[in-house]
Amino acid sequence: MNDFTNYHPVVLLIYYIAVLSMTLFLLHPVVVSVSFIGSLLFYGLLTSARKVWKDMRLFMVIFLLIAGTNPLFVHKGETILFYLYERPITEEALVYGFFIAMMLVAVIFWSKAFSIVMTSDKFMYIFSKTIPKLSLVIMMALKFIPQFKKQIKNVHETQKTLGLYSDNRMKSRLMNGIKTFYSMISWSLETAVEQGDAMKAKGYGLKGRTHFSLFSWQMRDTIFLVTIGLVFLSILIIQVNHGYDFQFYPTVSNVPITLPEIGRTLLVLGFVSLPSLVEIKEYLQWQFAKSKI
Amino acid sequence: MAICEIKDITFTYPEQEQPALKSINLEVEQGDFVVLFGESGSGKTTLLRMLKAALTPYGTKEGVVRYNGVDIQEWNEREAAREVGFVMQNPDTQIVTDKVWHELAFGLENLGTPPEAIRRYVAEIANYFGIHTWFRKQTTKLSGGEKQLLNVASIMAMQPNLLVLDEPTSQLDPIAASNFLHMLEKLNRDLGLTIVMSEHRLEEVLPLANKVVFLEDGEIICAEEPKNIGRKLQEIDVKHRMMQALPTAVQVFHALEGKGETPLTVREGRRFLSEHVSRPVSKRALEPASSPIQDEILVVKQAWFRYERQTPDIVRGASLSIQKGELISILGGNGSGKTTFMKLLAGQEQPYRGNVYVEGKKIHKYKNQELYRQHIAVLPQESQTVFTKATVKSDYEDIAYALYNDPSKVAEKIQGVADTLSMASLLNQHPYDLSGGEQQKAALGKLLLLEPAILLLDEPTKGLDAFSKQVFREILQALQLQGKTIVINTHDIEFAAEVSDRVGLFFDGTVVSLDTPERFFSLNTFYTTAASRMSRHLMHEAVTAEAIVNNWFKQHKSSSK
Repeated sequence: MNDFTNYHPVVLLIYYIAVLSMTLFLLHPVVVSVSFIGSLLFYGLLTSARKVWKDMRLFMVIFLLIAGTNPLFVHKGETILFYLYERPITEEALVYGFFIAMMLVAVIFWSKAFSIVMTSDKFMYIFSKTIPKLSLVIMMALKFIPQFKKQIKNVHETQKTLGLYSDNRMKSRLMNGIKTFYSMISWSLETAVEQGDAMKAKGYGLKGRTHFSLFSWQMRDTIFLVTIGLVFLSILIIQVNHGYDFQFYPTVSNVPITLPEIGRTLLVLGFVSLPSLVEIKEYLQWQFAKSKI
Repeated sequence: MAICEIKDITFTYPEQEQPALKSINLEVEQGDFVVLFGESGSGKTTLLRMLKAALTPYGTKEGVVRYNGVDIQEWNEREAAREVGFVMQNPDTQIVTDKVWHELAFGLENLGTPPEAIRRYVAEIANYFGIHTWFRKQTTKLSGGEKQLLNVASIMAMQPNLLVLDEPTSQLDPIAASNFLHMLEKLNRDLGLTIVMSEHRLEEVLPLANKVVFLEDGEIICAEEPKNIGRKLQEIDVKHRMMQALPTAVQVFHALEGKGETPLTVREGRRFLSEHVSRPVSKRALEPASSPIQDEILVVKQAWFRYERQTPDIVRGASLSIQKGELISILGGNGSGKTTFMKLLAGQEQPYRGNVYVEGKKIHKYKNQELYRQHIAVLPQESQTVFTKATVKSDYEDIAYALYNDPSKVAEKIQGVADTLSMASLLNQHPYDLSGGEQQKAALGKLLLLEPAILLLDEPTKGLDAFSKQVFREILQALQLQGKTIVINTHDIEFAAEVSDRVGLFFDGTVVSLDTPERFFSLNTFYTTAASRMSRHLMHEAVTAEAIVNNWFKQHKSSSK
């Protein structure tokens, strides 16, 4: 169930940049919490609840590390909770550390989710539009690296059986490294020449090279782009008018439960849950379609 | 009208005295399927490269190659790139991009085809070649056969009128090679595509071709229809050494001095034999093979192996006992695990259950130097990986000096190996400049310097032409006379039938049906040599062309008495 991946790479990239910048720059407890939940939900939908739980255990450590270190080193803030080795531990620093940690973990989960969605060929596609030569080189490298690794392994295995190794491990390892290196130079040059011939044979170097990709722009890409554009723009406007301002030091400002505040929260919630909504909608549609069979 | 015309081409590489091609004349008609054969180094690749302007090597060239009546040097580059497709030997190095779909589009992109049109061509080609099931795969994850198919498909997407292939199946296993050749046949028959290819394995390709060209030392010796090629070769020399490159049916036909149409396929050969054998022998039950003298040198006992804990077992309780001085061939399909099994024999990998014994001692009890000097040597599939120096000689010295301190002793040992393999002329060359057969020989030479008792050879005949194979076979027999034990992993059932003392099939993680080649191949119905399939209804245990001929003469003599 990876429906969101089928959107056009440009749309995906724009959304990714938007959601990351929102999480990073609006340091507002509600925004951070909502983004955090949104990232977990999306990552969970792309993988599984178990995978989220497994990863969470690791990131919990990072979370506690960051949340814990801030009050130890930062002593700003008015509300002093207690003294540790004669240094004041403040409530404000604790809260700030907590939300910074949450923000970082949210960014990590967004990035993990997007590494599933934005596969290398999608990045390649975006590159090939902007820097075509570089993208071809990267593509060839992506193909060459596994080939190179395999050859290293083969050479290494062969050289091992040639009886030149003493049982002095350091020495024989070094020797083998040098030998493998020599062999790989010859091999790489040879391969490059053949590859060059093959490219020439297929007309590489002619003027007016075009770029083909499997991605095509569809109506729903436009709709999605317009939606995220509108929502993000509204968030920006609110931010410019200090709607998402929040203060940690010297005292933590409180978040009143008012109608405009709820509206602002819903806007962010809507924005971060867009990909999850797409996934859920797809799932329901699929279930519905199946039930009709 | 000839689509392609080669006129009086003489070509000399820079700094070479001998021309690589000597006044070559050849006409290729529209829709022809031309097969070039000859020893490695006879100029096949050079000739094929003459047909594609972008790949013509540097050197002095006389004469002209015309394509559709125009000198190919005068074609504009765009047309030239599109009209003539070229497929090379190594499936890996020709692939440019990382995704299958992108590789299919690569040529069209270069030609500047608009993306919408590319979409259509790519879809069509993927369907025709059956690539649509792995369309989005990574190119590095494909098998050799798939890679080579992709190479042809990506060239066919550019819609050429002439397809040139340089030994395209030499790196493939027999099943993949057969699929590949059938695809070419389909292209030739369905689309009228003109094909010019060089090939070592004529058994399958000869029936598909309508013209066969035999090249020797840069000269065309004869260009004939497939049916006449054997007769032509015999006119030059009754026992022409390239006869063994021809299909079994042709060899048998000429050895028995057959009259009329030359049989090319097993089916035709079978018919020919039926008419020629006056008195078919009654089938007798085969006696069980007598057990050889028990002098075990390499033993595998109930070995189990897998690469990772979660992956399935590749070797599953395999046992094998190899006697001193024998030559065993292990056959098996691609991915059957026979290469892994050989790694266990060589001590490169350790079984997680069971043991390997070398001369009665567990293999992991040996130290590295002890095991790989005097005991075991491994010739890997990619013989290039053996070399690490700029010349064969310096590579040899590297090994020899590790064994002997005395320079005169080193020179003597190297000379000895060079004599055994008759390869003194190769010593001063760069290993990568050697042809496949020569490279193999040079790699084998390096192993022989270690004076191993056991030689393990992985796919030694891959990419070798018939003549090099014959030479290699003689080398193996000479080594066997010196008392060496040899284990071969191979796809090449013809070769296994000729050289082995015993043959086994590696299947489902174990060695099954280990037997003498005569019994092994005559008891098999499908997985057997062409000779056996051709003669099984008339003679038993005739598993090579030579054996059929000998059998025939024996029967003929006894009936004439």
